[in-house]
Amino acid sequence: MDIFLQQLANGLTIGSMFALIALGYTMVYGVMKLINFAHGDLVAASAFVGLFIFTNLFGSGTSIFIAIAVFLLTAVVIAICGVFLERVAYRPLRTAPRLSAVVSALGASMVIQNGIMLLWGPQLKIFPDLIPQVYWDLGGVVISLIQVLIMAFSLILMIALYIFIEKTKMGTAIRASSIDQDAARLMGINVNNIIVTIFVIGTSLGAVGGLFIGLYYKGITFNMGWQYGLNAFIAAIIGGIGNIPGAMLGGMLLGLFNAFIAGYVSSTWADAFTFTLLIVILIFRPTGILGERVAEKV
Amino acid sequence: MIKKLQPIAYPLFFLAMMSMPAFLDPRWLAVATTFIIFTIVALSTDIVLGKGGMFNMGQALFFGLGAYTSAILNAKFGWPLLATLPAAILIPALFGVLLAGPIVHLRGDYLLVTLIGFNIVFIQVLQNNLGGLTGGPNGIFGLDVISLPGMTDSPQLGAFYTALIALLITLLVMFNLDKSKAGRALHYLREDELAASSIGINTRVYKIFAFALGAGIAGMAGTIYANQYSAVSPEAFDFVQSVLFFSIVIVGGSSVPGIFLGVFVMFVLPEIFREFATWRYFIFGFAMIFTMILRPRGIWPATFGKIPRRLIKEGNNGN
Amino acid sequence: MATKELILTNVTKRFGGLVAVDDLSFNVQEGQIYGIIGPNGAGKTTVFNCITGIHPCEKGSIKWLGEEIRLLSPHQVAARGIVRTFQTIRLFGQMSVAENIMSGRHIKSSQGWWHGICPTPFSRADEHKNWDKVGELLDFFNLSEFAVNPVGSLSYGIQRRVEMARAMATEPSLMILDEPAAGLNDNETLGLIETIYKIREKGITILLIEHDMDLVMEVTEYLTVINFGKKIAEGTPGEIQAHPAVIEAYLGSDDDDDF
Repeated sequence: MDIFLQQLANGLTIGSMFALIALGYTMVYGVMKLINFAHGDLVAASAFVGLFIFTNLFGSGTSIFIAIAVFLLTAVVIAICGVFLERVAYRPLRTAPRLSAVVSALGASMVIQNGIMLLWGPQLKIFPDLIPQVYWDLGGVVISLIQVLIMAFSLILMIALYIFIEKTKMGTAIRASSIDQDAARLMGINVNNIIVTIFVIGTSLGAVGGLFIGLYYKGITFNMGWQYGLNAFIAAIIGGIGNIPGAMLGGMLLGLFNAFIAGYVSSTWADAFTFTLLIVILIFRPTGILGERVAEKV
Repeated sequence: MIKKLQPIAYPLFFLAMMSMPAFLDPRWLAVATTFIIFTIVALSTDIVLGKGGMFNMGQALFFGLGAYTSAILNAKFGWPLLATLPAAILIPALFGVLLAGPIVHLRGDYLLVTLIGFNIVFIQVLQNNLGGLTGGPNGIFGLDVISLPGMTDSPQLGAFYTALIALLITLLVMFNLDKSKAGRALHYLREDELAASSIGINTRVYKIFAFALGAGIAGMAGTIYANQYSAVSPEAFDFVQSVLFFSIVIVGGSSVPGIFLGVFVMFVLPEIFREFATWRYFIFGFAMIFTMILRPRGIWPATFGKIPRRLIKEGNNGN
Repeated sequence: MATKELILTNVTKRFGGLVAVDDLSFNVQEGQIYGIIGPNGAGKTTVFNCITGIHPCEKGSIKWLGEEIRLLSPHQVAARGIVRTFQTIRLFGQMSVAENIMSGRHIKSSQGWWHGICPTPFSRADEHKNWDKVGELLDFFNLSEFAVNPVGSLSYGIQRRVEMARAMATEPSLMILDEPAAGLNDNETLGLIETIYKIREKGITILLIEHDMDLVMEVTEYLTVINFGKKIAEGTPGEIQAHPAVIEAYLGSDDDDDF
């Protein structure tokens, strides 16, 4: 029972991070029908940018204000990178064959990943303790302050995003564009603005996810983007790609699944189990859990 | 002009390649051999990705499966390396059928992620030394080499010519494929799967066929790879390699010359500019983005319209 | 005396809550030119998708020469001699006209997949024979001059002809044409009528959906009219034109833009 509760807490923590990152993939995929391979690397970059901002602007010390400042500044920097990425690597290819955009995305991923390496070196870096290491032992189950903050903060961000998407005019426009870009354009929606908005929101959430990864795992490397990115993308697929609540659900499910596999089976085969889950879900529900089945129009 | 050169371009290319060892020192001969091996794998990727239009981002798996089949049969069971070749072709081909079977119906990006998944699981299997056969993270070393007649004293030379023969076989298969029912079926299903099935093409069978054929050829390249290095280890078959092969095919335009060019840029240029090694992927990343923006169909796009001359009548604005 | 070839009985197809085809039955007889008409959104194309296995129907039966084909996949249906064209032309855009027609020879070619790896004298002869057939079809449809052009670059009218030639290449017994005159000008429509007759002369049964009423009334021998997925009338063109339910379906609805 202790293992169960412990892994439940760990799983929800990892799941929150997956969900935050998955949102960036799913929103971009929804409107552009493109896997933004560079998203994972932007997430990795955000951990390094956060580290850089903290050591150069604040030096040391932990306070809630410093933490908030680091998060905000990192999110702004990464969002600017995201908008720049869209402008340079994706916008010129919007009408090109699908595969060209995929390769451009892969290229962007390489540029960001190796850019991090050229700037900060190939070694593992230790992320600073922005948030004090406080642990509570709840009868055999250990939960840290960082875990609680990650879960609470992710939940708040996801609820906010959900309200934004469902209740605001901009959110409606985003949903419309992901159903039919051309029809949305004919209705007077500026799809360029929509895409920029999506990149700003998606990469900011990803930046928060990246900082959480730094806080939670401590060790950050230049090439960790693919690892987390792939998991988050799988989460998005499991939930139903293009579907925002789906990404949240998929992230949580995958986080829990990973944690329980690590707790009860083994962690050496973690990836094998993740991909088996993905394949099983795709065989039984090809469009994911919350994705709608769409019959091809003939 | 290029059209006219085509019939003699390939014989010329092979003559040039055959005389290569006369000009190259051992280091560059090894680079040339690697170039040929990676070209074969890229061409095998093209069968699935370029011809069949399926987003294949897991080709390194089949490449590695061939290499490991040869290595295990040679190192653990004492087969001569050349005798392992049929197994190194058939086992990956069989895995191509088994792995592709349940997933070929998936839409492009889903297929891509699933194949990355297979590739990652494959590496995990190798590193965890499954069944004590794969040698864990260090791989298997101390393999025999294939001895070609007259080249027994120079394994380097033998490896080069073995690779060249494999390339020749691969190109022949690719040309045969283009002039056959099976090859055309792949083109049709890439262009419009629904239309293809509506005129009677069993798209599922041909998709699996493409995977099996691509896997078999990649497996052959795997044996050649094991032959060149006398060793195999997991990182050579990582999914990052699959990503590179995928990019080479698309950047090249999924044509044979385009793929040659792509492999040259990705694997040979870094050998020439070794001092910029750390900048390698940073620069490639930009090169990939800008090539796609400037030439969305690739540097040297594949052409269609190869039809028998007797069907072309006068009044044709033939091209 | 004609044998009944294609028999649909109580075919029903749903998309979610929408009943696209509702309890539809009709028979197409050998050698007929059979028409299906109805207002936009009446479910005509869905009927074709059910027959050709693209969207199999949930209920009812579709019998072809006595065999139940309801649950067959599209390529199995094609292998039994039923081939179709599409309302939104679906050709292999980057490939040449000749290659597009050659795709129809796929099921008639006796090459195996292994010939794609290693050709034999037999497979070369088979290639040769099938390309010859493509040559004949290029002549039959007056497409010889475009043989090497990529179809994507050709006009709509020519693309329609290529699509019909591709269907003909499979040597079908039943050809299903989904709005073959859509987007054609008057001249091209006249040519189309001639082509339809020429195809029928080869002993091929034709089932077509069309909005061009002049064309339908001229070429078809028997008609089924459907509205909201249901059959509202059937009969010869003469009978249909006088049928009150048909007049109501076409003239009584507000969203009508075909007449």
